[in-house]
Amino acid sequence: MAKISISNETQNLTWQRMKRQAVPFAYLSPTLLLLAVLSFIPIATVVYYSLMNNVIITKDPPSFVGLDNYVKILSDKNFFNALGNTLFFAIASVIAHFVLGLLFAMLLNSKVVGPVTKSLFRVIYILPWVFTASIIAVLWRLLLYPNGVVNYFMLGAGFSTEPIEWLSSRQLALPTVTFINIWSGYPFYMVSFLAGLQGISEDLYEAGKIDGASGIQLFRFITLPQLKPVIISLAMLDFIWTTHQFTLIWMTTGGGPVRATEMLSTFTYKLAFTSYEFSLASTTAMLILALSLFVGVFYVRNQRSANE
Amino acid sequence: MSKMMARPTRTGLTKALVFIGLILGALFAGLPVLWMFASSFKSNTEIFAYPPRLVDSSFSFTAYTTVLGDPQQRRFFFNSYLISGLVTLFTLIVGTLAGYSFSRYDFKFKRFLNLVIIGVQSVPPITLMIPYFGLIVWLQLYNSYGALILTYMVFTLPYAIIMMTGYFNTLPRELDEAVMIDGGSSFVVLWKILVPISLPGIVSVGVYTFMLAWNEFLFALTLTKTNDMRTVPIGIQLLMGQHSFEWNQMLAMSVLGSLPVLILFLVSQRYFIAGMAAGSIKG
Amino acid sequence: MKKWLVGILMIAILLISGNVMMAQDPITLEFAQWWEPELPAGEFRALMDAFEAQNPGIKVELVSGPYSTTKDQIVAGAATGTMSDVVGLDGAWVSDFVKQGALASLTDLMGAVSYDASELAAQIQLNGATYMIPVVNFIYPVFVNLDLLAAAGIENPPATRSEFVDAATKLTDAANNVYGWVLPLSMEQPNGIQNDVMSWVWATGGSMMKDGMPNLVDNADVSSAMEFIKGMYDAGVIAPGAFSMREQDKVEEFTNGRVGMMVDSLAHINLIRERNPELKFAITALPAADGYEGPRGLPYASWGIGVAENSEHKAEAWKLVEFLMSAETNSKLSSIANAFPGNVKATPDFVQTDELFAAAFDVFQKGFLANEFVGLPVAENLMREFDEPFQLYLDGGMELSEFLSAAQDAWTGHF
Repeated sequence: MAKISISNETQNLTWQRMKRQAVPFAYLSPTLLLLAVLSFIPIATVVYYSLMNNVIITKDPPSFVGLDNYVKILSDKNFFNALGNTLFFAIASVIAHFVLGLLFAMLLNSKVVGPVTKSLFRVIYILPWVFTASIIAVLWRLLLYPNGVVNYFMLGAGFSTEPIEWLSSRQLALPTVTFINIWSGYPFYMVSFLAGLQGISEDLYEAGKIDGASGIQLFRFITLPQLKPVIISLAMLDFIWTTHQFTLIWMTTGGGPVRATEMLSTFTYKLAFTSYEFSLASTTAMLILALSLFVGVFYVRNQRSANE
Repeated sequence: MSKMMARPTRTGLTKALVFIGLILGALFAGLPVLWMFASSFKSNTEIFAYPPRLVDSSFSFTAYTTVLGDPQQRRFFFNSYLISGLVTLFTLIVGTLAGYSFSRYDFKFKRFLNLVIIGVQSVPPITLMIPYFGLIVWLQLYNSYGALILTYMVFTLPYAIIMMTGYFNTLPRELDEAVMIDGGSSFVVLWKILVPISLPGIVSVGVYTFMLAWNEFLFALTLTKTNDMRTVPIGIQLLMGQHSFEWNQMLAMSVLGSLPVLILFLVSQRYFIAGMAAGSIKG
Repeated sequence: MKKWLVGILMIAILLISGNVMMAQDPITLEFAQWWEPELPAGEFRALMDAFEAQNPGIKVELVSGPYSTTKDQIVAGAATGTMSDVVGLDGAWVSDFVKQGALASLTDLMGAVSYDASELAAQIQLNGATYMIPVVNFIYPVFVNLDLLAAAGIENPPATRSEFVDAATKLTDAANNVYGWVLPLSMEQPNGIQNDVMSWVWATGGSMMKDGMPNLVDNADVSSAMEFIKGMYDAGVIAPGAFSMREQDKVEEFTNGRVGMMVDSLAHINLIRERNPELKFAITALPAADGYEGPRGLPYASWGIGVAENSEHKAEAWKLVEFLMSAETNSKLSSIANAFPGNVKATPDFVQTDELFAAAFDVFQKGFLANEFVGLPVAENLMREFDEPFQLYLDGGMELSEFLSAAQDAWTGHF
């Protein structure tokens, strides 16, 4: 490191204090530089667009309209329809991801299964996670097609007398896309829980058993509390990510039939790229950001308390 | 489940239940993927045949030979490997440095910066597209690997930093002090002590980062122009034509695309499982 | 030490990105389109090589993307000043790009070189200037499965709506999973509204517009076409899954012999033959309303071409357009794309050699090209806004009059 002059002791001390102050920022500098340039500028632009009219797809100059765009979006019933669908989609996904992720992690953690078998099952269980969203959409469209294999078994087993229109019926489309998202997203939880379970000390369970706790009690009073930091972090991250899910919805139903699976993401996309209302799309983006940050604040609080 | 093993009479039942559960779960997870795998060997017409069959007379490797025989598709795979690999490497380096800072130092704006880093991922990518695209053009990065690598780092870094901070927090500070007393700098502490111990955590973050970069579509398409810069998800999308889809090739390509991720997961499983533990518990 | 590392990384990134910035001596035209991946490998590039040979000093760089995202990419390109010099266009996009100021007036470019436009089959004009020229056209006739028709005891393909309903009813055998007609209404790709729904109005000489404004309410041509479709929907002769079906799914149903008739692009003839060589099928004009004797409007989709307003090489760009529109090149492109030419003097070779295309060409010559969505503002959005109440109408959630006024209200806001 740099050579320090010993001739002036006070200067040396100040320099050292400054250096100590600077060190954490030096370590953070690549991150801060990257995020400052590539994140803040675009976000600031979107904020700016949301307050303007005539942006991007127009020859006219933009004009400042204040909060008009927000008023327009917040008085659009289609926005609230999309918000409602998104909340259903996101909350149902998060809960199901959590339940399945935990269940599968517990099964895979079970001591009655040998390590090789476990390894094999782990790879099978991770499969839905490794495909890009557009392929997941294509695959499930094939499976759920009126003439697809799912309907073939439904008919064959006598559950239904005619093919079920999973993605084309106004009643079923939303639960169906939610199910697809659940299928493709649980491994993220599962892997994290698997890791979390590995980290819980055997001693805790032994102590619990000596106190005469039942299996369910051990789960409730040891496993769950030990996993809580992971659970909350994952749930918050997942909620934000699911709210942003676009490709899967777009490529399975396009937001239809009618508006049954319209989400905030598809609503925004249509505003931007088929109506060319970039100001309104930016406004919706800001509202999504607000929703995400609302959840994000809980997340950060939890991060902090978990760290302390 | 393990706690039920206390009573031998129930062990057999437990074992049976666990196996039934495992198999049901595997069917839920694996059957759709098995169908994808089987369909990638069918002809395009047979994929839509009714009644559907897992394997039929049209079985052939044509889709795979077509995909692998096309130099453009091979280029997509090469690009995906290169970009995902570099994103993983850079994310780990930058994320480790930042995680170290958050874990070992107290400084002004620490909480605020933490919040900001977490907040960055709260912006829906689709709305950022056009301003972000403009920025990349202005930075003269349009249609370059650099554009994609830097972009993916914006998405992967927050996650990596959270995990790395949590992981370093689990390691006692006495380790650092011992090195400092011997005259080592803070970087030596990080590089020689913390990084080797936390290798499992680093691997787990790496696998996840690799997967995110491997599967990204929207920015990969927008920020590139020529096919020699594009990645596998775009190659798949290019098979979805205006009038018809090359179903079997699409499926074959995604099967091929999933292999490196699966292999990576298999190889790093030992690290991954242990590493996620310490990182996430504290994270 | 750390800074060194970061510095090296940054340099590496810059070096990797540097290769885009290399200067080139001859003029390079960028041509953004989705055609190259749609055509047999290498065929489109070969045409460009021919152009380069004719025009030393001009190079063409093909920028090819998936069709589904081409429009978004052009929007983003125009917004960031990275739009290619020459762009492939769909008629439904033109109005929006003109509004954005992204497209150059081709009338001006033609004027500059005194181009004789008499060979062009069509020009898409807005405000008196041409912005897009259809290079090749895909018409949408009715495809009929001859084996299914014969099995149902139908001798001739339907020529009127009532014959069509009759045929669809006889063809439908739900127990064996066979249906008379197939109707794609996906909200992701709402072009079914144009090709499979509104086409019935045009085939009978009707219009959804009046004096440049939407005219859906109290329009007998529109109402009768909608009631006609609703009648078949209620009778259960339309294949299930309509509300999320896309054009690419529709053709698989037909290829697998599960639907007797479909309105479809000629582009699919070779695809169907290749995917199911045993399928016997024929092509016929879209049936008109009973008693209608006039010429039939034929829905079509084009591969159109335009020049970017911000291009620095507009004159060279026009040369490329001119090349593609020349009788010789246009014949060749039509032949490899299985489309009808945009140059009236061009004759694709399949018209002489292929019976089905000859039949289609006959349909083409007896009718006229009709696609009222071409040149309308936010055309794709219009289709979606029509699709929504239409699905409700079919599903029983809306009456005909409610549906048409809902669609009309949504549309009028854009004009």
